[in-house]
Order: sequence, then structure tokens, then C-alpha cells
Amino acid sequence: MAKFDRKTAIVGIGATEFSKNSGRTPMQLATEACLAACSDAGLDSSKVDGMSVFSSEKNTEIEVARNLGIGELTFFSMINHGGGAPCAVVQQAAMAVHSGVADYVLAYRAFNERSWNRFGSGVQGRHQSPEAFDVSFSWTSPFGLLTPAQWVAMFATRYMHAYGATSEDFGRVAVADRRHAANNPAAFFYEKPITLEDHQNSRFISEPLRLLDCCQESDGGQALLITTMDRAAELNQKPAVIASAAQGVAEDQHMMRSYYRDDITGIPEMGLVARQLWKSTGLGPSDIQTATIYDHFTPLVLPQFEEFGFCERGEGKDFIADGNIEIGGALPINTNGGQLGEAYIHGMNGVAEAVRQVRGTSVNQVDHVTNVLVTAGSGVPTSGLILTTET
Amino acid sequence: MSENSSSGLYEELRAMVGLSGNPRVARDPVNVPTTRNWCDAMSEANPNFTDSDMAATGPHGGLVAPPATLNVWTMSGLTMGQQPPRDMAEPSAVVYSKLDAAGYSSVVATNSDQVYHRYLRPGDLITSVTTLVDVSEEKTTALGVGYFVTTEAAFTDQHGESVGSLFFRVLKFKPGTGRTRESKPDPKRDALIEAGLDPDEFFPPEPRPARPRPQWNEDQAWHWEGLRERELRIQRFTDDGTLVHPPANANPNTQSMDYDYVVASGRGTLYSYTVPQYPQVPAFDYPLVVGLVELEEGVRVVSNIIDVPADQLEIGMPLEVCYIDTHDDVTLHQFRPATAPRNETTLCAADVAVGDRLPLCPIPLDHRLIISTALATRDFQDVHHDVAAAKAKGSKDIFMNILTTSGLCNRWVGDWAGPDAMFSKLEVGLGAPNYPGDTMTLSGAVTAVADDGTITVGFKGANSLGNHVTGSVEIVLPDRSAAIGEGS
Repeated sequence: MAKFDRKTAIVGIGATEFSKNSGRTPMQLATEACLAACSDAGLDSSKVDGMSVFSSEKNTEIEVARNLGIGELTFFSMINHGGGAPCAVVQQAAMAVHSGVADYVLAYRAFNERSWNRFGSGVQGRHQSPEAFDVSFSWTSPFGLLTPAQWVAMFATRYMHAYGATSEDFGRVAVADRRHAANNPAAFFYEKPITLEDHQNSRFISEPLRLLDCCQESDGGQALLITTMDRAAELNQKPAVIASAAQGVAEDQHMMRSYYRDDITGIPEMGLVARQLWKSTGLGPSDIQTATIYDHFTPLVLPQFEEFGFCERGEGKDFIADGNIEIGGALPINTNGGQLGEAYIHGMNGVAEAVRQVRGTSVNQVDHVTNVLVTAGSGVPTSGLILTTET
Repeated sequence: MSENSSSGLYEELRAMVGLSGNPRVARDPVNVPTTRNWCDAMSEANPNFTDSDMAATGPHGGLVAPPATLNVWTMSGLTMGQQPPRDMAEPSAVVYSKLDAAGYSSVVATNSDQVYHRYLRPGDLITSVTTLVDVSEEKTTALGVGYFVTTEAAFTDQHGESVGSLFFRVLKFKPGTGRTRESKPDPKRDALIEAGLDPDEFFPPEPRPARPRPQWNEDQAWHWEGLRERELRIQRFTDDGTLVHPPANANPNTQSMDYDYVVASGRGTLYSYTVPQYPQVPAFDYPLVVGLVELEEGVRVVSNIIDVPADQLEIGMPLEVCYIDTHDDVTLHQFRPATAPRNETTLCAADVAVGDRLPLCPIPLDHRLIISTALATRDFQDVHHDVAAAKAKGSKDIFMNILTTSGLCNRWVGDWAGPDAMFSKLEVGLGAPNYPGDTMTLSGAVTAVADDGTITVGFKGANSLGNHVTGSVEIVLPDRSAAIGEGS
């Protein structure tokens, strides 16, 4: 058991609207989201003394601190590798407040990844340098493998070949997300559900991935406020207790292109996160009532169920069948609509939805929620956490 | 040209449908030197065609000619650089001449259906009689406005016995009337063209951007230097021989930093792939195929997979390396389907099932192949060997003749089925021309297995412009007892 388990909580969530064109700067979005999270908690923003962000976050903690009236920060950290970070920034915050280096930590992500630049448009114009990370793109970019969708598609083809999964199986994830988004006024695709037929009719982006297998590109900001259970008691909201949180990098890890392992149909770094979370909390798959499963691309949703032991290897397609991951199913996922339906805020909006499920305030509220699982980006060094009602 | 004159032409041509020409006797009997040239040009290695000792023990009891040569022997010759005059007793020749005179001077063959009643033997003297069976109405095609002219030829031997038949269709079209590639309207360029000026001089076309440039440092420079020398180098840690790709600084097992490299054999199999379609980056041609190739040395590399139509990609397919220069100082590896070795033992009917795929066969097209095969098939039409003449007739370059397409298809099916497969029919329809510089990849599968052992293979040959050929071939395979009797 990790020392911070069940000792800290997410006590405030705040977001901007989610759009394709925010009409304002990412810094403005970050400021608005952070202020909203503090307001949600009932905390004066100047009391925040810690910041935990993604290394890909362009709105630096020092500028956001100025905007929030924060005079002194005693803790500030960054987590690398994009979408793998949303649970890890919460873990950083939890460890910081539990250890006493900070009292209140904000984790946030804000960007115009649609109106300012297209997040999915590819790395063909990447910075050229002989540094190792820049060099790492040389094994893929000269061949035209340039976008996250293309990187993921390589895994998807092999997964389909190994386990007989089909494009329809991937489509069921999209249908579930969009069904949930259809009920969520905050979702970009509010009141716009899709059918499996819509999915099958959508064009190929990088075969076997279709348009409707891919998350949105969004403008928006999302912030989370983390503190200790003691301080949580003084604040407005029912605390979403952080049962545990974990990170994972596995053997021969590459950034979304771990193509050189013996088997590429699993997500071993996610398996490492799963092992830590189950061991640390004493919980297991049957204790989880709902989950946010990272859904940048639908094919990598299926093996996450396998890594967490919801089903056997290769049986993700069976697990998600028959509406099992939709409201009314055994494990409704992404009840906000996920990143396909609500918005792509690098997974941070999915953490906020898990908080709402613990509070009992989701637009797609699941009955009798005790424990909610959240996973972060798949294919990258990643993270996960479990929120709970129980200390 | 008024409506009347063209409709008059059509009626004139239609009036000849059903007429047959005089028997045309081949200039020479079926002979081994001509067959040998044909086999060399086609890369046909079936010993039944050229190796008299091997052929003597084969199913024909001696040498035979490749079945696709059925209509080679009665082709006209080429005398002192001149096309022989048309035999105006041939109704098809009359039709062609009338169409030439009306401006439909270009010709492409579009269909050839050969039926083989028996294999030809050296010494056979072939006679053909050609009947005009159809002239279409004027059609608008991608190549131009023209008429489809269909003939049927019957082939007999010196005893008057039928040896086969040929259903043949050509398009006679007006050069320069084809659909040119749609381009965006550009008033500035149009105005310059109108003024008799070359718009390229004023607005030079932008050079195509290069691919994303690979970057390296001293830790990987040896890999990129290897590619310049057409070597795919894989890092090897010298202490325990571990191969690592992408290269690392230390052996993951031992942390030893002593490494050299091995040069990969270049053989591998397809482990996974994707076909990126959006977004499209100008440096690449789409559809693009990016694969993960498992080298026989055990490591995987990302590579483009070329010369494979996307619908023919199959995990596990054998691949071989080739190279492409992308920048002044950068070469990349690429992988294409490995050439399957010729099958030296003939398949039995029982070995074959509907759906069985034939090995992919990429055929690089160059001037030498197109010219040598045209001449080996005794097709002396200038569009198959004379670049200037081909351009004057509206083609961008010389292009492959239909007898060669037929020969290559049969060669490929025979390489798969084995030397003693008996061909009974070959139907080909042509689409996109096979120009030099392109690659045609043949792909196909068994579409029918009849009770009598007749196997039908449906196939296509795709190049960068689309399908050059679609067709089917019928072969008869020995049953298993016959094969066992041969001791194979």
C-alpha cells in the first residue's frame, strides 16, 4: 500500500466549455479552469501552493500562479509523455500534500488543440536535432508514419490478427462514448449519438482506424484541486478519495511506438499500473462500478480491460459486447462521453467525470458507486488511479 | 465532322461485321529459337518449353511452345523498319484503315481471350482465319473518343486441326481526345496559355517537398551510412550477440557498450501494417503502406511496403528489402513482396482450394522489358518500342503490348502451379497502361475448382495508375495418383 492511499482527495473540479474554437487564449482557458476548480471546492485560489502539470502544458505554472493570486509555490512538477500524465499529475499532487510539501495542489491542462494547431496533424514538421528524443522519430517519420492515429493503427492491425477483433468491435467503443455524450450538455457531441453503421461508414483515417475511432481535437481547459482528507473536510464538496494512483513504464518502452517487444497486442505499462493499483488498494475488477478508460483511439481501449483483468487476454471484444460498457451494462465507461464524445483534454476531463461519479452528480450517474477506475494514455508511459467514496 | 459523316462511318464499319479474312499462314513453323527468345524476355523457365531432355519426360513427351504464344506465330514481320502493309482482304484491316483515315489513328488492345485446344509443338505450321465480330458505337473513354473493334481468330495446324482460338478487342481512338487529369482552375495560368506563353516559366511548379528527414547522431550514424551503401545494418552487442533495433547505447541484458552491426539478409515477413490516408503529406504518394517488418534475424523495423495493392497485404507475407534515395545524403530501406521461387513440382488438384492466394509478383517495368517482350512476341507496333512514335500517338511513353501481359500472367500462374500444369484458357482485359518506370504487381486467387480438376485463377496486375490487367486463367492439374506415379 502506498503511503498516500486514501489520505488525499480531489476536492474541486473546474472546466471551460469544450469546443473547436474557444475564441480565447490557452492561458485564459487555464486560468478560467483553475479558478473554477477552486470555486467548486470553496477555496480561495491564493491558498494554492502547489502545481502539477504535463510537460506538454504550454501554460506554465508561474504564469498561472500570477493569474490566481498565488504568491508562493512550494511544489511544482511536470510529467512527461502527453496523454500518459492525467493520473500521474494527480499522483504527484497526492504525494505532495500527503508528505506536507504543499497544502493544496492544482493539476490542469488547457489548450487550443483544434483552433490554434491540429493535434492530430502529425510530426512531419518536428524540430530537427541530434538529441535522442528527436532522433527517435527517425525510425518512423521518414516512412510517413507521422500521427498518433497512424502509430496506434500499427498495434490495431496486429491485435485484430491475433484475436479476431474487428472494426465493428472498435466501433462499439465509439458507440458507447457517443451514447453517453448525447446525454451530456457539456459534451461537444451532446445529443449526437452514433450507430455502429455510422462508424462503419466513416472514412479510413489510417486503416484499420476510421474517423469515428479517433478522439476529437478540442479547445478547452480542465483543472483538478487536490488536498489532504483533513483539509477536504473544511471544503464544499464531498471528497473523491484517491484510493491510490500509479505510474508505469514497461520494458522496451517507446513513445506510442513500442513496436519491438515480443508481443505488441498488450499494453504492458498499463498492466504495471493495474498490478500496482490492485495490490495497493486490495480491490479488484469486481469492486469497480464505473471507469474512465483512456480513449484517444478505440482499438487501444480493448486491451486495457485485459491488462486490468476485467477479461482474459484477447477477450476485450467479448467484454465490450452487448452494451456491457454502456449505461446499464456491467461496467459503464466514459460516462461523460469520453474523448470521442465530450472532448479531448488529454484525459483530464475523464478524471473530472470520475470525481462526479463519486459525488453522485454525473449526467449518466451509475448506481451505488463506490470505486471508479481511471486510466491514462495507452501506448505512452502511463498512469492510473482509483477514486473512492471510502476512506 | 458532322453527325452524318460519323454515323455513316459507323454503318460502313458495321456492314463488315461477320466477314472473315483469308487464311494467314505463319511465316515460320513453331520453332525453338523463337520460343527461347520469348522465354528469356518473359523470364519463363518452364523446362517443357526449352529443355528437350526434361521435356521428354514431361506430360507432353517433348518440347512444346508456351500456350500464350498461340497468336505469335502468325503475326506480321517487320521489314527494313517498315510495318508490313495491311492485308486489305482482312475485314479488320479494312476497318482499321477506315478508322485511321477518319482520325481514329491510335490503337490499344483491351481484351485478349485465348483458348488452347492443344499445346503447339516445334514444327507445327499455324494458320489463322480472323473474323470481324463486332464494331461498337463511338465511345468516350479515358484514352480518347473511339471505336471498339472485336475480332475472333481460329488457329489450325498443318493438318487442319484446331489448336486454339483468340477473341481480341482493340480500341481505335483519336489521339488527344482523352480525359486529362482534372486540375484546379487557374485563371492566371489560363491567361498565359491564351497569350501563347508557357505558364511554367512565370509560375514554376513548386518542387515536391522531401520526406521528413531522419536525424541521427554518432550513436546511429553507422546505420544511416549503411543505407547509403544499400545495407540494412542491425546493431549487435558483441558480448552476447544480442541484436537491438532501434539502436541503444548499452546491451539491455548486460549493459555492455561494445557493439558492431550485422548486415541484415533483407528477408523478412510482414508483422503488422497500416494504410495512412489522412492527413496526406505532400512528400508521400497515397495510398501509402507502412509496415512493421520482422527480419529473419529476429528484430523488427518500420518500413514502407511497396508494390503491394493494399487489399493484398497479409500479415506473415514474405518481404525483401530494397532502397530509395530520399535526400542528397539519405537513403531509406523499403520492403516489397519477396519473389516466390518457381515451383518445380506441379501441384495436384487436391492441393488447391477456392480462396488460395497466389504469391504476389511485382514486375519492375523498364524500357528493356517492354521492348524485348514486344519483339519476342513478334509485335512490331511502334508504340511498344519507339518512344517518339508512342508520344506522337498520344501516349506518354512506350507501353507493354497485350501479348506480353498474357505471357507474364501465364508465366506467373505456371510458376505457382508447376511445370506440368496444362493451360486451357487465358482471358485478360487491359486498363491502365504499363509504362516504363512503374511496377506491376500481379495478385490473384483460386476462384473455382471443378470436378474434372480444372482450376480457375482470377487475377489482377496493378501499377501506380490502377489495374493494368484483370483476368482469369484456367489450368488443369494432375490428380494425386498421377503425381505419385511420377515419383514426385
